Amino acid sequence: MAVSTRSEAVYPVTWKSGRVARWLVTVDHKRIGIMYIATSLFFFVLGGILAVLMRSQLATPNETLLTKNSYNEVLTMHGTTMIFLVVVPILAGFGNFLVPLMIGARDMAFPRLNALSYWLYLLGGIVLWGSWFATGGTAKAGWWSYPTLSEMQFSPGHGQDYWILSIHILTLASLAGAINFVVTIVNMRARGMSWMRMPLFVWSMLAYGVMLLVALPALSAAVTLLLLDRQAGTHFFIPSQGGSIVLYQHMFWFFGHPEVYIMVLPVMGMISEILPVFSRKPIFGYKAVAFSTVGIAFFSMLVWAHHMFTTGLGVGLDSFFMISSMVIAVPTGIKIFNWIATAWRGNLIFDTPMLFAIGFIALFTMGGLSGIFLAAFPVDWQVNDSYYVVAHFHYVLFGGSAFGFFGGLYYWWPKMFGRMLDERLGKWFFWLLFVGFNMTFLPQHMLGLLGMPRRIYTYHHGGLWEVYNMISTIGSGVMVIAVGVFVASIWIAHGLRRGVRAGNDPWLADTLEWYTTSPPPEHNFDSIPYVTSARPLRDLRRRLAEQA
Amino acid sequence: MLLTFVTIAVLTTAGVAVAANGGFTPPAPHSPNAARTNDAYYVILGFTGAIFLLVESLLVTFVWKYRRRGRPRTVDGAQVHGNTRLELIWTVIPVIILCVIGLVVFYELPGISNAPAATNPIRITVEGHQFYWQFDYPNGARSINDLYAPVDQVVDLTVESADVIHSWWIPELGGKIQAIPGHTNHIWFKANQVGTYVGQCAELCGLYHASMEARVIVGSSAQYTSFISKAAVTDLGRAEFQGACATCHGMQGQGGYGPNLSSNPLLTQPAALTAIVRDGRNLMPAVGDTWTAAQMQALAKYVKAHIYKGASTSG
Repeated sequence: MAVSTRSEAVYPVTWKSGRVARWLVTVDHKRIGIMYIATSLFFFVLGGILAVLMRSQLATPNETLLTKNSYNEVLTMHGTTMIFLVVVPILAGFGNFLVPLMIGARDMAFPRLNALSYWLYLLGGIVLWGSWFATGGTAKAGWWSYPTLSEMQFSPGHGQDYWILSIHILTLASLAGAINFVVTIVNMRARGMSWMRMPLFVWSMLAYGVMLLVALPALSAAVTLLLLDRQAGTHFFIPSQGGSIVLYQHMFWFFGHPEVYIMVLPVMGMISEILPVFSRKPIFGYKAVAFSTVGIAFFSMLVWAHHMFTTGLGVGLDSFFMISSMVIAVPTGIKIFNWIATAWRGNLIFDTPMLFAIGFIALFTMGGLSGIFLAAFPVDWQVNDSYYVVAHFHYVLFGGSAFGFFGGLYYWWPKMFGRMLDERLGKWFFWLLFVGFNMTFLPQHMLGLLGMPRRIYTYHHGGLWEVYNMISTIGSGVMVIAVGVFVASIWIAHGLRRGVRAGNDPWLADTLEWYTTSPPPEHNFDSIPYVTSARPLRDLRRRLAEQA
Repeated sequence: MLLTFVTIAVLTTAGVAVAANGGFTPPAPHSPNAARTNDAYYVILGFTGAIFLLVESLLVTFVWKYRRRGRPRTVDGAQVHGNTRLELIWTVIPVIILCVIGLVVFYELPGISNAPAATNPIRITVEGHQFYWQFDYPNGARSINDLYAPVDQVVDLTVESADVIHSWWIPELGGKIQAIPGHTNHIWFKANQVGTYVGQCAELCGLYHASMEARVIVGSSAQYTSFISKAAVTDLGRAEFQGACATCHGMQGQGGYGPNLSSNPLLTQPAALTAIVRDGRNLMPAVGDTWTAAQMQALAKYVKAHIYKGASTSG
């Protein structure tokens, strides 16, 4: 028999398939998603170090670890990093990895645009963190950068300009991503996947995309005007020359409040995926949960001035924004009650993703309820800009968003990498984070009511101020240990290759991403099943069981 | 979940043991608007507290009751897809609760935002500066960081800013209001007790945001009159130095964030001193850009007499 020899390989190996190069040149939504998540976690650690620095500075009265100058840099960078470089992009990462898999598509609608958004995001992060080396250090005016403090006269140096530049880049990244999500979800769903059969996480990513498209231009406009004021001699926000600071506040918060829901809704979507799987039940009230997502997204555009109750808008506007802010509590409550009802008469399995999902409900409820106090504007006049607010938004954005995305990481980790993370370490991670979180942020409600304003670099009061601040700082230390455990569990699973190989569907889940292999092949699916309900995989399992 | 409650319980006990309210409510009010704010706070605390207990106890109960108990993962829970009546219940009841909270807020609101009528309020202007508070009294007197006010009289504050946004906040005398350049705001109080009430700037205003403290010193009507007619004038130089200059240069002018002043001959030259205080220089902000000539004289007199230690060559 003749042996045929080939002069060239069937599958040519180009430089693009190199170990590093295949990540640099990829337009695969899964790789881009993983790069998003990895970069966000890296910035999460950086932002966390800043948080621990601040907590150490505030542990005792008259502490001198950080100077007043560097404290203002650190608080500005912590806020900006956690919002723009951690929570928003990590959700884009989950969305990238999951949306095409969940809707049974081969990739996002615009793969190249998708890669561009990731690289722009990374560039924005580098510009922001590079500003530590700018003349005069980083921006120091807080993540809102209210003028006139952020104007050239009061913030000389280039830190504030780099901040503006990085916000511009990150805004472009998010806008490109948002368009991609909306187009993908609207157009590329598998056969049979009607709107009411769409996974709830996909609903929330659709809301995420639409909200970004509506809210981000206001931010871009605001920081553009600020840049012109600083560099081109305009005076949009300089009152002595006819500008208006209140205008900046409106523009900023018109973006800033939807931003909160941009950071929370996709996480709520993850909870709506995790809870049913680990309760062995369908989600309670699918339609109510889906429509409440749409409701929250809509009303989130109408509540921005509740961040401005102490600006002196007048009772008329204050009343409108109080009512609209309270309205948004209703769809949020609907979600929480539906989640709890999902656990009712279930077969609850407390694997790590489930612990984080339950932790999310417990903590987000707290953050939601403290929000009612802030919506009632006369009470807000008392607690606004105090540590009460710091506690409130950390219950929403850490107890909520971060607990949610850690749950999501544990849940989808086997799908992303093909190995399970260690369950025992996962439980340690959850409990340390849960205890540390409450120790850190619960006492901050009390500090605010005692009269401690946010963003002060030191205080001289002893007594309760000192006690609560000390408890809070110790709590932040516990969270550092927790994150250490998380990093260790990744090392053990992958560095040491001790992670158990995950099959296609280790959790016996409901949605299409579990239909393919872990990790999925580049084309995602060999065949895409016809979707007959909101739980296509469960349908498949039952059909297989009937045939057997 | 149990741990949330343990944490909350431990902190609650610790807090209550240390002080009467321990930071669980806003501080005891000493002005009618603060009192009515607290009333609204308690109503909201009642409702939200009840909802908190309901949600968390349901969660804990279900977590305990429907736990796996060693059943395999393949065992399904009850395949319940929803219940329209329940959805209606947990939509309508929160709406009703929020309406009640809203009504309570609107009921309390006039007593919070409007000063009591039929009185002749004392109008004082509060001007925020990097990094001190300046108070202008009806008779033209001026004070720094310490606001003097008579007991049991309505004091109407006009709140302004000369540079960046600040926020006026004396917790025992009501809520806060931003001091915004180019924008005039109002807030009022009617202190019900002689005493000193403290607070500090609540809006990040730059380097010394944390040092921007204010005291409201409430005395009898006679004490107030005597202050604004005498002390405010004789003591103005000291108040200015300690309020505006000492933040950076130290209480004795010994230096700190800013340079040592005690041997700087500029202190003996009123014209040059006025120029630098009015316009600022390098890192130094224009702290005295709204100061009157009388204020500059008072400052010059004070620093020459108390801060200047002679041009030192020996150090």
